[in-house]
Amino acid sequence: MRGLLYILIFIPTLLLGQNQKVITGQVIDNATKSPIIGASVYVSSAIIGSKTKTEGVLDSSMLGTTTNFDGEFSLTVNNDVISFLVSYMGYETEKVTISDNDTHFTIVLNENVEALDEVVLTGYQKIEKRKITSAYKKVEMSDLEQSGVMTVDHMLTGQLAGVQVQPTTGAPGAPAKIVIRGSASLNGSSDPLWVLDGIPLEGNDIPKDFKDKDNIDNLQSYPIAGLNPEDIESITVLKDASATSIYGARAANGVIVITSKSGKKGAMRVQANGNIFVTQKPDFSKLNLMNSAEKVDFELYLANRTDLTYQQGRGDVARILNANNDYVNFQNNGFNNISSASQNAINNLRNSNTDWGDVLYRTAINQQYSVSVSGGNENNNYYFSTGIFDEKGTTKGTGQQRYNITLKDKFSINEKFKVGVALFGSQTRTSSYITGADAYTNPSYYSRNANPYLKLTDENGNYLYDPDLVERSDLNLDYNVLEERENTNYELVSNSLKAIFDANYKLFAGLQINTQLGLQLDFDKTEKFSDEQSYFTRKYEQRSRYNTEDGAAFYMPKGGILQNWNSDVFQYNWKTTVNYNTTLNERHELDLMAGTEFRRNKKTEIHAKGFGFNQNTLTTIAITDERSLTNALFDPYKKSYFENAYASFFGTASYTFDRKYTFFTSLRYDGSNLFGVNPKYRYLPLWSFAGSWNVNNEDFLYDIDAISDLKIRASYGVQGNIDKSTSPFVLGEYYTESLLPGTNEDLIRALNAPNANLRWEKTVSSNLGFDLGLLNNKVYITSDYYYRKSTDLIGLQSVPLESGFSFINTNWASISNKGFEFLINTVNVQNDDFKWTSSFNISRNKSIVEDIEIREEDFKPSLKGYSPTAIFAIKTAGLDSNGLPLFWKDGKKVTAVDFYNLEEGTDGSQLTREEHRNLYSYVGDGAPKFSGGFNNSFKYKQFGLRILTHFNLKQTVQATPSYYLTQAEPGKNYSTDILKAGTGNFPALIGFNTPGFDTDLVYNWFNSSDDGRTYDDLDIWIKDISYIRISSIKLGYSIPKKQLDKLKIASLDFNIEGRNLFVLGTNYDGFFDPETYGSIYSQPIPKIISVGFNLAF
Amino acid sequence: MKKLAYIILLTLSFTACDDYLDIEPVGQIIPTTVEDYRNFLTSAYAINTGSKVLTTYRGDELSLSATAVGIEQYEDLFIWNDENPSPLTSAYPYASIYNIIFYANHVINSGDEMKGGVLEKEQLIGEAHALRAMQYFDLINLYAKPYNSSTASTDTGVPITTTYDSEKPYPRETVEVVYDLILSDLESAESLLNVSQQETGYNYRFSILAVKAFKARVYLFKNNWQLAIDEVNQALAINDELQNLNSNSAILPSEYNSVESILALETVASFDMTENASISEDLLSIYDQTDDLRFSIYFNEESDGTYHSSKSADTKFKVSFRTAELYLILAECYAQLNNQDQAKAHLIELANMRYTPIGLERYRTRINELNSADVLEEVLEERRREFAIEGHRWNDLRRTTRPLLIKNYKNQEFRLEKDDDRYTIPFPNDAIINNPDL
Repeated sequence: MRGLLYILIFIPTLLLGQNQKVITGQVIDNATKSPIIGASVYVSSAIIGSKTKTEGVLDSSMLGTTTNFDGEFSLTVNNDVISFLVSYMGYETEKVTISDNDTHFTIVLNENVEALDEVVLTGYQKIEKRKITSAYKKVEMSDLEQSGVMTVDHMLTGQLAGVQVQPTTGAPGAPAKIVIRGSASLNGSSDPLWVLDGIPLEGNDIPKDFKDKDNIDNLQSYPIAGLNPEDIESITVLKDASATSIYGARAANGVIVITSKSGKKGAMRVQANGNIFVTQKPDFSKLNLMNSAEKVDFELYLANRTDLTYQQGRGDVARILNANNDYVNFQNNGFNNISSASQNAINNLRNSNTDWGDVLYRTAINQQYSVSVSGGNENNNYYFSTGIFDEKGTTKGTGQQRYNITLKDKFSINEKFKVGVALFGSQTRTSSYITGADAYTNPSYYSRNANPYLKLTDENGNYLYDPDLVERSDLNLDYNVLEERENTNYELVSNSLKAIFDANYKLFAGLQINTQLGLQLDFDKTEKFSDEQSYFTRKYEQRSRYNTEDGAAFYMPKGGILQNWNSDVFQYNWKTTVNYNTTLNERHELDLMAGTEFRRNKKTEIHAKGFGFNQNTLTTIAITDERSLTNALFDPYKKSYFENAYASFFGTASYTFDRKYTFFTSLRYDGSNLFGVNPKYRYLPLWSFAGSWNVNNEDFLYDIDAISDLKIRASYGVQGNIDKSTSPFVLGEYYTESLLPGTNEDLIRALNAPNANLRWEKTVSSNLGFDLGLLNNKVYITSDYYYRKSTDLIGLQSVPLESGFSFINTNWASISNKGFEFLINTVNVQNDDFKWTSSFNISRNKSIVEDIEIREEDFKPSLKGYSPTAIFAIKTAGLDSNGLPLFWKDGKKVTAVDFYNLEEGTDGSQLTREEHRNLYSYVGDGAPKFSGGFNNSFKYKQFGLRILTHFNLKQTVQATPSYYLTQAEPGKNYSTDILKAGTGNFPALIGFNTPGFDTDLVYNWFNSSDDGRTYDDLDIWIKDISYIRISSIKLGYSIPKKQLDKLKIASLDFNIEGRNLFVLGTNYDGFFDPETYGSIYSQPIPKIISVGFNLAF
Repeated sequence: MKKLAYIILLTLSFTACDDYLDIEPVGQIIPTTVEDYRNFLTSAYAINTGSKVLTTYRGDELSLSATAVGIEQYEDLFIWNDENPSPLTSAYPYASIYNIIFYANHVINSGDEMKGGVLEKEQLIGEAHALRAMQYFDLINLYAKPYNSSTASTDTGVPITTTYDSEKPYPRETVEVVYDLILSDLESAESLLNVSQQETGYNYRFSILAVKAFKARVYLFKNNWQLAIDEVNQALAINDELQNLNSNSAILPSEYNSVESILALETVASFDMTENASISEDLLSIYDQTDDLRFSIYFNEESDGTYHSSKSADTKFKVSFRTAELYLILAECYAQLNNQDQAKAHLIELANMRYTPIGLERYRTRINELNSADVLEEVLEERRREFAIEGHRWNDLRRTTRPLLIKNYKNQEFRLEKDDDRYTIPFPNDAIINNPDL
């Protein structure tokens, strides 16, 4: 700043001698009428340049000053200057016309609508918006905030162009899967990096296959879940390489920077808010299941079909018929001729309806409250808050509670030295049901399969077990959902503390040193308990089965099973940067930054199991049987420990010329602990170049008032990653084994094949975009086009077995992602009483696997040339006269026998794997073609209405088949699809002996020989969907200020909000939500109605 | 100058950071010392390829129970259905054998870098040579024609690798070349090893004795009778003890702690073998069921009158070489060399430890009456009796007469014709998929 002042002093001196005059004035804020200190008052180069009147020479030096403590300024200008500009960060720039006799001005500045966008926090730097060269998007928390949503990740849905947010399941606390601009990896994580006030958070990766049943039912803690959204000020998403490369290798999937709230200068401000929200029971009829009457008829139909023998003794109808020796009688003579006992019992079943929607799901009343206290003065500002969030899930047995405390304080020790401390502490308790290894008892899965006539308790309230939950043909383990909920318990308690300390020292004007130390401590305790009387325990016991002379015995002790997982994560991140800013000759602005970052994290995990647990004595019983030693399921204790260290060096340089052109470059060397990895990969270089052009500062746009802002940006950068599990050396892992009785030895097992040829994965990204503001930024458009190519992706590839290995990690694939993003914000109406603003964004990402090694043994076609989420299907061509599916082959309809080349007397298909792959056709992409959101907010006097929506257009989804043609089980319930079997496109139910040509071959194929499970891929299970979800409708009312003033209250708002109330679009029958279409394990996404208040004083 | 200073500063900080970044993950190691390599090779010793178990199903020692749980794993092995077996069929070992070879190769090729005492190093590398030889011996007897000196140099064998390389082609070498490698490995082993006999409990490791026994077997398979005799004699000089079942029948002579154990490495039976297979009538019929002491301890009679093997996958039943084989090799070689007296003498020497006194007398009388052609046959029958369910039978059938075998399973008759091509097992599918040169 001082440099600028010198220049300001000198320039006028140089210019003296011309016809000059002195103009003076004061700059004040329109709202507060208080003076603005430090506002820039300058004469645009454009104005001077045009006025030199010297042929071919543009005197484009800039002339200007800043306002003093009273907001006053004084500036000497040439007589021929007719106007000057006044600007200040956060305010709209004012153009002031100088008339001949006027030399004193009072300039009133209005706050800019986009005011807070003026500075972008990247986590490493604060960059003025005008100097930004990269693709980023910042959103204010106040625009996102939704009640009844525990974590901020879900609130981002549909809010940001190019940022795909998808809920994984409707369970409380379940994370949202976020993908920014498509995935840069085929096997690895595609999750973005979360950064809290400059500190990268560890452990936010979501399981890759989040539709997998185990990942749905496992409780896991995510650091982001510990943050109260109320404490968040804004969120900035960094999308292109020039923004993310400074974060190093882990930022290849984009960065989400969270800026937390801080105290503001002024009197103490207390803010409190509370919400009561009701999560509604899901609409169970969405699943289209058969009711009791339909099911009983269906069972009778199956019993009547002598050719269908699969599990034919299952189901109550078969049990009744068999008990009364009526089964064959029924098959021969029909329902009317069986015993009246059977008839009555079967007819009674029809009227016995258990509403599984009521048994498994519920409506729950929940609440959330937060209070914050903040304030500050010249030397100190503070922000303290606390919050409670308590949600019971719509699936019984699930819920989550969170308690937060946040303390932040920033103070200046002297003019040059500032320090800040922030502590974010939270406890999160998540509870859920437990399911066994095969998830038969996952509520969503179970509710689809349990018979509608099944009774849960008898007249005396005793549990009745489901006779049709089959483990094996010879084994039923008693399962009753009520007993299971009663006697099992699954809870995860996460205690988390994030602490940030930072210090900032100004050495001299323009040069600052920042250092920041962040600590992340997460203690997670998980307890899974199942009492002796539970299906889980019964099932576990089976794993300890052995044979004795007297039959089967179990070495697992009787009693409950108690399992504990304790994990302890410690991370520190210490970052030091030196920033230097200078402006030369008023036109050359230079921002330089260099820094180091050291990060280390340690994770200890302990998994302990106790058997024979007694809830009264809290004791367990040791397993003494030797057989348990070789069964990992009965290991009493397991500890694991991981440690990683990272050291990085980085720098950025930004040069802005004439406030128009900015060039930016960044370079980072990322080092990490790579045990046994080729030392040449120890430090990965990551770099980027970018540029931007503020077109609206150009002369030719100066007079076009309609364009209030126009900027063009371009960037290019390279990021990389190296596989840590591959080494040029033979890397071994210890374990112990007894090769012969009486000896126990340490062994070193080779972990992987040595591979010196592995190259690092490389992602090259380029971005081209513009920001356009029209009509005083009432219309603001941001659009970007990007292209990212990731090459040398690492994946497992099969190698000759003679090498000693089956698979090794090699560079086997490359992917490109290209797409565009478009965002438009508009102020549609604005007057004193009414304001209507809209925001619409849409994005399209096209991912293509450019190159991939084919695995000979694959059943499905290579993804080469398709999206990594491409869906391949077997094209069916309706049914033949027997109801068997027909297929398209070379443009002709053929039977299954011809299509699969089935031959009598063999194990089915005579196709080679390559021919098998060729059976498939590409039918669509599992990722939506377009996605985005459309938000509107209205303000009329004291009322506010906000509607948030998001949409996905043309997404191909694949459902789990609603039935298997060869395995119609009378003991299971089905969706009503099975009633249509043999009509339309639904294959008929067949058995080995079902009449018809070659039915036996088709039966054998689909029943047992179809190793590639092509039935699941028949195109009848696949469809394209598009939908728009109204994610939030919120109506608010603010009590008028006049009334509040009497109560000394600053503001009081009431609001009512409905979340997820409607989905419009393609029908998604058979599943709860379009987002989780195809998954039979996901919990429904709740509909929520909430009422709340917001109070400040 | 300033630039240079920066570069120096940067380099210094990078070097300091190398220490910061040096984290050795708990439980992981890059082997450097001879002890590390010992633990490394132990991993290879611990790999159970299952070749003995699977070839036993292929031979004529078992009869299969069609109703047993998981029988699909074995039935197509049993009936020699290599063409279109059920997908559940256990594959003959291939990857696991080459995995052991990978370990052995790495130990052999790391001799220069290995830190530690010379004796320990030499012993270890010697063992690695012997272990590698054993794997190639296994491979060549699974997937190539039996050794025939007139065609061995053209008969196709198996791919050879002595260093790790995932990218090179792996063509099949000839049977002769593979045998040459086996013998040269055994020579190297013999010259490096310094433990003449391993302690019980560690006798899964190769010793000088084990290598000599192994060489004798290789020469036997190559029909080099005299060379085999020479190796046996050297081995017997180290240990010639046999377990006398008259005085000690608490353990089987094939168990790892029997006096006659030479190398207790390979698992010869599976845990489920007792459930899904009984001893074939054919095998039961060649025993003197009352006076052959082996009969009652080798087999357990079930309530339904069938017999099951008492050998199982329990580690105590591991066996590869034992003294009894040395005696039977002598008997076989002498019979081949037309020295009937020596052949008979060695048979009786072993029988002495296996039969009751009455049974022995009967045996002695019978043996002494045999003519020269029958002696050889008797030696092979004795091998059958002595090594029942020890994984010798399939190889013995292959290397001798490759007779017609007939099996009944699920009321169907299956035949393996005399000299049937199926006496050589085709390479497993996953091997062919990954190596187009097979």
